[in-house]
Amino acid sequence: MKGIITSFLVIVLMFSTQSCGDKTTTEPETSTDNFDRGALLTDMADNVIIPGYTAYATELGDLNESAQNFADSPTTDALNQLREDFLDAYIVWQRVSMFEIGKAEEVSLRNKTNIFPADVSQIMDNIETAGYNLDLPSTIDEQGFPAIEYLIYGTGQSEIDVTLYFLNNPNASDYLKVLTARLHDLALEVLNDWQLSYRETFISNDGSSATSSLNKLVNDYLFYYEKFLRAGKIGIPAGIFSGSPLPNTVEGFYSEGNSKLLFLEGLKASKGFFLGTSNYTDEVGESIQSYLDYLDQEGNDLSGKILAQFDVIESSAVGLENNFAGQIESDNIKMLETYDELQKNVILLKVDMLQALNIKVDFVDADGD
Amino acid sequence: MIKYTNIKSIALLTVATALTLGSCGDDEPDVNVPVTYEFLRNGESTVSFSGQTTRILMAEEFAAAMTDFDKSATDLQEMFANEDATGGDVNPFSNEELNAETKSIRSKVAASTDLFNTNTVEASTIKTQMDQWIAAQVSEVFPNENELAEAGKAGQIADGTSTRYVSAKGLEYNQAVAKSLIGALMTDQILNNYLSTAVLDEATNIEDNNVSTVVEDKTYTNMEHKWDEAYGYLFGNSTSAASPLTDLGADNFLNKYLSRVEDDADFAGIAQDIYDAFKEGRAAIVSEAYDTRDKQADIIKEKISDVIGIRAVYYLQQGKIALEAEDFGGAFHDLSEGFGFIYSLRFTRDAGSSNSKFSGEEVASFISQLEEGNGFWDVTPATLDAISESIAAKFDFTVAQAAE
Repeated sequence: MKGIITSFLVIVLMFSTQSCGDKTTTEPETSTDNFDRGALLTDMADNVIIPGYTAYATELGDLNESAQNFADSPTTDALNQLREDFLDAYIVWQRVSMFEIGKAEEVSLRNKTNIFPADVSQIMDNIETAGYNLDLPSTIDEQGFPAIEYLIYGTGQSEIDVTLYFLNNPNASDYLKVLTARLHDLALEVLNDWQLSYRETFISNDGSSATSSLNKLVNDYLFYYEKFLRAGKIGIPAGIFSGSPLPNTVEGFYSEGNSKLLFLEGLKASKGFFLGTSNYTDEVGESIQSYLDYLDQEGNDLSGKILAQFDVIESSAVGLENNFAGQIESDNIKMLETYDELQKNVILLKVDMLQALNIKVDFVDADGD
Repeated sequence: MIKYTNIKSIALLTVATALTLGSCGDDEPDVNVPVTYEFLRNGESTVSFSGQTTRILMAEEFAAAMTDFDKSATDLQEMFANEDATGGDVNPFSNEELNAETKSIRSKVAASTDLFNTNTVEASTIKTQMDQWIAAQVSEVFPNENELAEAGKAGQIADGTSTRYVSAKGLEYNQAVAKSLIGALMTDQILNNYLSTAVLDEATNIEDNNVSTVVEDKTYTNMEHKWDEAYGYLFGNSTSAASPLTDLGADNFLNKYLSRVEDDADFAGIAQDIYDAFKEGRAAIVSEAYDTRDKQADIIKEKISDVIGIRAVYYLQQGKIALEAEDFGGAFHDLSEGFGFIYSLRFTRDAGSSNSKFSGEEVASFISQLEEGNGFWDVTPATLDAISESIAAKFDFTVAQAAE
């Protein structure tokens, strides 16, 4: 009797153990399709990335020059030239922001270039004490475009006020020169690395492992799309992550009226990445789009859906005020609508596209702590 | 053959009956479980846990102050202990209601009846360890606010667009302290103190509860209140005390990490299970069904222990991924949180026994592996995997399930 009960218990235990689940997990297998990833990487490097950085470095050369001119002898004419070059460079930055790979990743280019809102009180401290180390991670919101923007728009009501501010503050002139020179140097460092060596490294790493160029590039693209295009430019100021809207966190806060322009450039660049096109060459080669189409045996037309959604986002965004801070205050619902459209493409890109390409997400949503 | 089958059937029945009855006892009264965590006596609520809410709020302010570079070691220690070095009254909080309190965080660290009543040596070691992390934050990390961290040198390190401030070993002391409190304060008080039969049934609690003798000037019996105090360490900062699952993540301590585990598809439903067990156990006290009460307490002990174990493994694995990608800032942040959750393992409970799932020695061994040499700068993925496996082996989840 005892023996029978024991064996019964053993059976029960066996069943319960089994029902606790099959605990092995299977790693997704690496891609086995025959698409020429090397050709795609070559076309991305030559048609999109390198021309993008070339144009960016050129614009920063102009910005740096007009900043040095203005800082050395502040006049309203020089300020206007500086502001013009600032906006040109800021626009072109939007086209390369997503390529945080290779040297750009190594130097944390995006962190040193466009973290907003700028920390104004710390910037004023830096100007006053002239003692700062812009290589410290805690200083990322004291440099780059947002800090320059504050200096050349936010230090006075009118052009004359800003010019007077610089005339009376040689330390501010020095800080401005440091900031524009630093951006220029960083851009040249990244561009040179692409031209001298990284292009080859990038193209030859054409496998499908987690560390292959395409897997990394696509992850970098998604990370940019989610964190910077969707959250940074729209979601955070619209209050998605905070409960109440934060209009003073928009991009282009001090120059007023440029946040939509900068967003639309970022959006256009995101679509361009997908299509493998840029503003700088007419070449269209292999792209994420052509890769998806190659894989699309069942006629799902995922690439068509993604492109259509990019167009929906754009038509939602063009209706917004030029200055997002104003839009948030007058009618934040419109910002939320644009956010929702952006979010729909997150699902298409991050779930459907990655699944089709057999690429695993290599970043997690920040814990928020 | 026939005879054999009969015997087997009888055996099956006997076992089945024994199992069914054994779990609830023979003469347990029926328990009417309410829809939400609301209990009344003569039309008045009997639920109260303001002391727990107070300590959660103190811990919130204290944890935030750990990265306020204007604070002195004395400021932080006073927030932790709510008294000065000689035991005098202090007002360290910005919230005046907290200053008016005589309660403190430190007095309830490693202070449960079951684990530390006769183990004050270890309790004292744990409190002193926390004191040391707090002091080290000010003496080692604060002076290097504007230095880049490197192996063997405290300072700041980038984690995405965030800046982390780490010790010479890469540890964020503020994370070590905050995540250790989840174990040493909340988990220990819930699992090893308020849900302990030694506390629930203390003195005349059962007799009093059986005849509804309430605590003087209160609406609740002592036993009801003890149970509610356990509940308060998990849900004390929720908007709705009765229905706290609607705003899970209401504090930065146990509640938040229950929310994180709930969000993992492998463990979805755990928050409801814990809430239901709290509700049924409390209703059982009202009905004087003490076996049911203890059965629910065991469910809570098991599942809250799971939360600690899952998060410890999760952060070790996330840290490993970041280390392999050479993202040291991201890795150190994950490992710092993991470090605190590992420290918290000491306060888990092997449900049905009187012990934690982890001895002090086991936890100390994990910690020393993480701190060896230059700490997080040196630790290898193999070590992180080995610790993860050792932890998961004590639970019903796998490393893979906890990792994502």
